[in-house]
Amino acid sequence: MNRLNQTLTVAKWEFMQFFKWKQELIGKSIMLLVALGMYLWHNQVLYQPEPQQIVSNIELQGLQLNDDFVLRTESKSNDALIAEVKAGNIDGALIFASQVLPQQVTLYSQGKMSWQNDLQVQLNDYARSNAAVSLNLGPNQLALLEQPLQFETNYLDESVKDAMQQSSITAKGLLFLMAIGVFMTFGQVFVAITGEKQQRVTEQLYSCMDAKTWIEGKIIGQVLHAVKAMTTTAITTLLVFAFVQVILKGRALDFSIFDFTVLPWFIVFVLVGVYMCTAFIAAIAAAIDDPNHSGKTAFMVIPLIPIMTGFMMMDSPSSLAVTVLSYFPLTAFVFMPMKMALIDVAFWQVAIAFISSLLGCIVIRNMAARMFKMGMTMYGKEPDFKTMMKWAIAVKS
Amino acid sequence: MHIKVDNISKHYKEVTAVNGLSFEVQQGEVFALLGPNGAGKSSLVRMLVGFTQADEGQITITVNGEQYTSIPAAELGYLPEDRGLYLEKSLAQNLMYFATLRGVDKKTAKERIDYWLERFDLLERKDDQLKSLSKGNQQKVQLISAVLHKPQLVLLDEPFSGLDPVNQEKVVAFLKELKAQNMTVILSAHQMSMVEKLADRMLLMNHGQSVLYGTLADIQSQVGVGSALKVTFTHAVNGIEASNKLTQFEIEQLNDMTLAIRAERADQLNQLLSHLPELGDIAFIDSQRMDLHQLYLHAIEADQAVQKGAAA
Repeated sequence: MNRLNQTLTVAKWEFMQFFKWKQELIGKSIMLLVALGMYLWHNQVLYQPEPQQIVSNIELQGLQLNDDFVLRTESKSNDALIAEVKAGNIDGALIFASQVLPQQVTLYSQGKMSWQNDLQVQLNDYARSNAAVSLNLGPNQLALLEQPLQFETNYLDESVKDAMQQSSITAKGLLFLMAIGVFMTFGQVFVAITGEKQQRVTEQLYSCMDAKTWIEGKIIGQVLHAVKAMTTTAITTLLVFAFVQVILKGRALDFSIFDFTVLPWFIVFVLVGVYMCTAFIAAIAAAIDDPNHSGKTAFMVIPLIPIMTGFMMMDSPSSLAVTVLSYFPLTAFVFMPMKMALIDVAFWQVAIAFISSLLGCIVIRNMAARMFKMGMTMYGKEPDFKTMMKWAIAVKS
Repeated sequence: MHIKVDNISKHYKEVTAVNGLSFEVQQGEVFALLGPNGAGKSSLVRMLVGFTQADEGQITITVNGEQYTSIPAAELGYLPEDRGLYLEKSLAQNLMYFATLRGVDKKTAKERIDYWLERFDLLERKDDQLKSLSKGNQQKVQLISAVLHKPQLVLLDEPFSGLDPVNQEKVVAFLKELKAQNMTVILSAHQMSMVEKLADRMLLMNHGQSVLYGTLADIQSQVGVGSALKVTFTHAVNGIEASNKLTQFEIEQLNDMTLAIRAERADQLNQLLSHLPELGDIAFIDSQRMDLHQLYLHAIEADQAVQKGAAA
């Protein structure tokens, strides 16, 4: 069997080790059912709410509540109105402190319900209109008072993208997805490798193939898992966003807050980056003899450092530090796509960052293969870092 | 397939695991590596498989006219000392994975998996998780995984360990079947009775060196204590008196009427038979050859004595 076929066999084995069809189907079905249930609920297919019966202690002239409410005035005492609520005869009692210019009102109801916010908004509008009338303000003057300050930033650096909010959300999203991918491989590679070591399958596998083929297959399998996790997260996020926009807020579907133009480059960088991180994690995991007592587990989170740094430096994409880190082989896979989401980047810069990442990836993969080969056959005693570095830089793998 | 090991040595810091070892393994033979723990067997096996290289000397493996310094993966079926499979996976999944890695197509692999599982009475448990099997049954699955690709050489490190006598016999039958298919089998084992049944030739190692090498007959002759008679008389005999009469033989009193009389060389047997009537009337005579277990103990003790003498 040639090396490529062996690599693909290992990759498939590695992927399927953590991919459970049944669980995937159950998980996704539950998600769809919940979404469908909420949709039907919101569209009042499953639930037809009755209008809320509200009683006020004063006459609210000119107030037009929407169809969700039926408002009437009753000249009973406050205690009598509260007793009506308690008895369940009405849903809410509005007790105004003053008859003249109502500035304070208390709503009595059985419990906290979603219609209360809606009622508050409508009463606020009513109070504001009343105030405007009492101050002799016209509708235009009132609108002027309610308008917030229009604050605009103009960047002299022309590369900064105009829609800063859009680019910032995209950059955060990209880093978040990358963190998901790296976390996923961190957990799974750790479990897979320490498990294989403890189950003593190493020598049997080494008699079938070399360490490089094995680690390559493992990395590809884990990268596929990371891609699956990132894709699922991205789709779920978009669905939730769409659900909130369309179903809950009743707005038109609009994905313009995301910048999808960076997606192709993001995919390329993420593949290289997650491959590199997985290789590093695999090399460290191979040296761990007992996962419960090893001091090396903490070093496996090192690949998350570039992503965390990316989050912290997102506010200054034009800075020297971000520029340097976007070309550095071990950090370019995070900083270049983040920078691309925030500011316009020339193609040659992206190309340099990609080549740099690729070279970093090859070097790390080769070093990891050497460390993996030695680490996987070392039982009973964990190698120290000096020994591991010696393996990593050894000429012969 | 032919293996030639020529004067190889392997050192780990101050420890010499293998020291100037030479031997040959022929196509289709069962070759046993014997020796106490720490004798250097596993180090030798690791060099043959190619996990480590010899510091001195040379290993030459000839396969279909091509020469290699270690056994090529495609022609090797290996059961390592540190062994294991994926416990969470089923027997069929484990075996299919290893068969696929070794280039066997799925249809053929499935046929061979079913055949061997049937042979080891495990076919019904094919879809069970490996962890649900006893240690002995897990070991049988590992043996199967080593031969699914029909390699020219099967290298088994302690194939009998952890098996009950019934399953040890099954493994013996399994190895005989491999031999019948002209596969070369190298095995390292401590179960001398099993080795005696199987091995065409053997190498006894101690302190990384060859102590005995050849067929069982060769080894018996090398040890030089291979010929002994168990003589039962019609009356009681005294072992000490018998020793005084037959001074050139080693005599052991087995019971009142029976003596074990050992000749150092096979050619002394005629002389022994001619002197026996001097001890009295003989009821019957039984030949008593040293089995491999006794040969092993004898040779290791002798070697330890030599090593101690050299150290002193």
